[in-house]
Amino acid sequence: MIARLYRSCLRLYPRRFRDRFGDDMTRVFDARLERARSRGRLFALAFGVFALADVLASGMRERFGTHSRLDDRPTRRISMRSDSWLADARYALRVLRRSPATTTASVLAIALGLGASGAIFAAVDHVLLRPLPYASADQLVMVWSNNTHEGRDRNPVSPADSIDFRQRAASFVDLQPILSFLVADQYVDGAAPDTIRSCSVGAGMFRLLGRAPAIGRTFDERASAPHEVMLSYAFWQRRYGGDASIVGRRVTISGVPDYTVIGVMPADFVFPYRSMLGPSGVTTSSSADLWVALQFTGGFFVDANGQPTRQARALGLIGRLKPGVTIDVARTDLASVASALAAAYPASNDGWTTTVVPLLDQTVGGLRPALGLLLAGVTVLFLMTLVNVANLRVAQALAREREMALRTALGASRWRLVRQSIVESLVLSTIGGLLGGILLYAGVPLVVAAAPLDMPRLAEIRPDARAFLFGLALTVLAGIIVGSAPALVSIARDLHRSLKDGGRTSTSSLAARRLRASLVTAQIVLAVLLTTASALLARSFLAVMSVDPGFRTERLLTLQINVPARAASAAARVAYYDDLFSRLAAVPGVLAAGGTTRLPLGSTNVTTQIAVEGRDVATPQLPEVEFRRAVGDYLGAMDIPVLRGRTFTVDDGPTAAGVCVINHAAALRLFPSEDPIGRRVRMGNSSQAPWFTIVGVIGDILHGSLEEAPKPELYVTARQNPPVSPFVVVRTSGDPAALADAVRAAIRSIDPLTPIYDMRPMTDIRSASVSERRFLLTLVGVFGALALVLAAVGVYGVMAVVVSERTVEVGVRLALGARPWQIVRLVLSQAGALALGGIALGLAAAFAAAPLMAHSLFGVQARDTATLLTAPAALLLVAIAAAIAPARRAMRVDPIVTLRGE
Amino acid sequence: MPFRPSDAALPLTPISFEILLALTDGDLHGYAILQHVDARTSGVLPMRTGTLYRALARLEEAELIELVENVPGVRSTDERRRYYRITARGREIARAEAKRLADQVAAARARKLLSEPHDR
Repeated sequence: MIARLYRSCLRLYPRRFRDRFGDDMTRVFDARLERARSRGRLFALAFGVFALADVLASGMRERFGTHSRLDDRPTRRISMRSDSWLADARYALRVLRRSPATTTASVLAIALGLGASGAIFAAVDHVLLRPLPYASADQLVMVWSNNTHEGRDRNPVSPADSIDFRQRAASFVDLQPILSFLVADQYVDGAAPDTIRSCSVGAGMFRLLGRAPAIGRTFDERASAPHEVMLSYAFWQRRYGGDASIVGRRVTISGVPDYTVIGVMPADFVFPYRSMLGPSGVTTSSSADLWVALQFTGGFFVDANGQPTRQARALGLIGRLKPGVTIDVARTDLASVASALAAAYPASNDGWTTTVVPLLDQTVGGLRPALGLLLAGVTVLFLMTLVNVANLRVAQALAREREMALRTALGASRWRLVRQSIVESLVLSTIGGLLGGILLYAGVPLVVAAAPLDMPRLAEIRPDARAFLFGLALTVLAGIIVGSAPALVSIARDLHRSLKDGGRTSTSSLAARRLRASLVTAQIVLAVLLTTASALLARSFLAVMSVDPGFRTERLLTLQINVPARAASAAARVAYYDDLFSRLAAVPGVLAAGGTTRLPLGSTNVTTQIAVEGRDVATPQLPEVEFRRAVGDYLGAMDIPVLRGRTFTVDDGPTAAGVCVINHAAALRLFPSEDPIGRRVRMGNSSQAPWFTIVGVIGDILHGSLEEAPKPELYVTARQNPPVSPFVVVRTSGDPAALADAVRAAIRSIDPLTPIYDMRPMTDIRSASVSERRFLLTLVGVFGALALVLAAVGVYGVMAVVVSERTVEVGVRLALGARPWQIVRLVLSQAGALALGGIALGLAAAFAAAPLMAHSLFGVQARDTATLLTAPAALLLVAIAAAIAPARRAMRVDPIVTLRGE
Repeated sequence: MPFRPSDAALPLTPISFEILLALTDGDLHGYAILQHVDARTSGVLPMRTGTLYRALARLEEAELIELVENVPGVRSTDERRRYYRITARGREIARAEAKRLADQVAAARARKLLSEPHDR
């Protein structure tokens, strides 16, 4: 960690110097660090701190100092000035050493502020600001089809449309498709098979992204690259230990034996990010293990005539804009192509236009509110630490009134005193800054650990020179601002009075006292903001956690399988499922077992258009519902209630009439005033599709997330429509994880090579689905707690001074018969009054700022009265608690001693 | 004497002089120079990495030392390690500095600032 910090600091040297000596210096540093380590950790730490100080000082001197050719000391003219600055700095160190408690508190506050804001900045920088790992990434855009009928603006694109967009839109250098979901495949190369995630991309995708492979080559575009496969770096390392001879190897992917490995992409190459994928697909996993070239031949890519279809929309499109073309031009361009297509093919394209978004937006746009909130939170925290330090410095300045007055009397100019004060603060910030650098390097891994695992670009967040310099710049700036506060106090000082009063602290002027009180008020205002924000987030989190998803998440084991390759026909799969679920049901501890094609909270989604018998609606305007298949006893295993009619039975077999069930939301949307039972519907947009009779209405479940309203859903039975890679859910009587081995064994007892993956309890899935919220709450909660501590420190500092200033008054009161508890009440009520002022202002600020965080809240209003009152109440208690120690001191004042002193 | 060309570089800073001294015995890499100086001055002239490299930069600019990428005969585990070699001019300057110091020491001795070793 220290070594990385050291490398960052080397940037202080001028580039020419760094180029010549940087590597060498690092090597020397490493060698010396190694030796220092052999003498103990403390020694190594001390060495590290000295080495950092050395490189900072010498780097600054090399960059900014003028030097004669052989003398590394500054030349004479500079030396005069820097001597006196240096003298100031040396004097500052002496002064700071004189009050170790205040100095330590200030340094820690600065270090904390820098560490926290630097760590958040590093996250924001690497996630939101840095370009994606592609060449000229700012020219890249994502193109979606926009379904204006359903109001879904980022819908995947059909193969035929993608070809037309590519040929007709003149704004693009190129457009390349990516299948909008990853596929779980079986990868066989000699040894045991691996379950991997494959990503299908247009053969020209790597050229479009502008990235070369680490070894080998990318797809041959002219040969359209059938059966060529590119490996990801991580998969190459995991499976082959980085063996370069892998290029040219023949492997088997999902039963197809003649794939050739042609190359490996570099370690930093990530494609796609999760947020570039469409809503469909059966796995939310976004890290592709390998890439294969997408072919528009066969499968759902072609229509009945073998031509690329316009009906199935399953592609994402990545485009590179021509140089100088703006995204608005590209939008207009594609919109006109889309409207031409809508006119030419109304059956499939009426009402469809396009959406064009910058690729970076598509990737991390969804994270902007959360990261923005964190950045705002950490800024408030940083401001609080500044106010805290300023407060401590003012207190110090008051204590040194006499010294300042003396120096003025001896002829020091005001500027000289201000400068002294600023230099002292700069020395403080530098020490705090170095310590903060260490905190920053320690804090970034903590932020990353708290972040949701599936957050795009999470792996790219790292502490670096940019974040450190950002923090350092902040602290130095802060040093100057904070430094001027006590200086202003000392300027306002009445010279004669200060000298005459003999330096007792009882003389702090009204102005200084007001300054300190307003600094504490400012702190409390900021603390109110942070604590109300964390309270609102906590309320939201509790609200989300108590949402009923419509099924029981406890004691439910989930996993995904691929049916064995030999079960190729629908009939074979129906038989396989009958066998599978009877074996699973026989496992001791299993209450019910079933499966589905899209698991709530844990997978993606797929929709279908639906036509109701007897209603004349043009195809493009047909309503959409979410489409699922139920395998085995799915509804029973999930505990989804049947509200009307019936669920599927064994009689709903392959040869019986088609049946389906719909959920409550679908019944409301499709049959708002009719009985849906017995009505017939048709799925997809073909008029040749078979009819299905609605036999039941079931309860709504929350599919996408706990925070979305339930969507209309339609289920068919797997006995009439068997899937190939279903999710399996097993309802258990005890801990579901304990049955993992037994369930696995039951599945493998049919075919030992069955791929089983993503096995986890539903409670884990539910917990993972709120991970972004937990991340926000954790960090903002930490900020809020720190804010309370800082506010308490501020109140304590002010009250301690107030009490010592009023010692005489307290003595007089006690002498005149006041009870000690009355004195305590006096002090506490003064602290309370101080806090109340800040709280009132803070509440007004929180009330004004609340709408800014509305998008991060759930189940609680941004201006929720209870929350807006409880958080400040806690703050008031903290403020009064912080004043207890000074109050006890006041209570113990001995009237005789204080009065004699007068 | 003050206008001899080599005098422009004089007096040397103590650190520059120590570096030149260390290099008179042979080419060294940065870390070895540090170790030489530490050993010779037994820590009296504590050397920090930043100071060392700034001094090296100045010496190189003044052409008193030069960089050699690979030193024949030296088996290094690290191919990229850079060695520093004293130039002819460097030797001349070091000699001139030594003379200058010796001259000063002689003067100090004449004024009884330094006692002879056998006096103790």
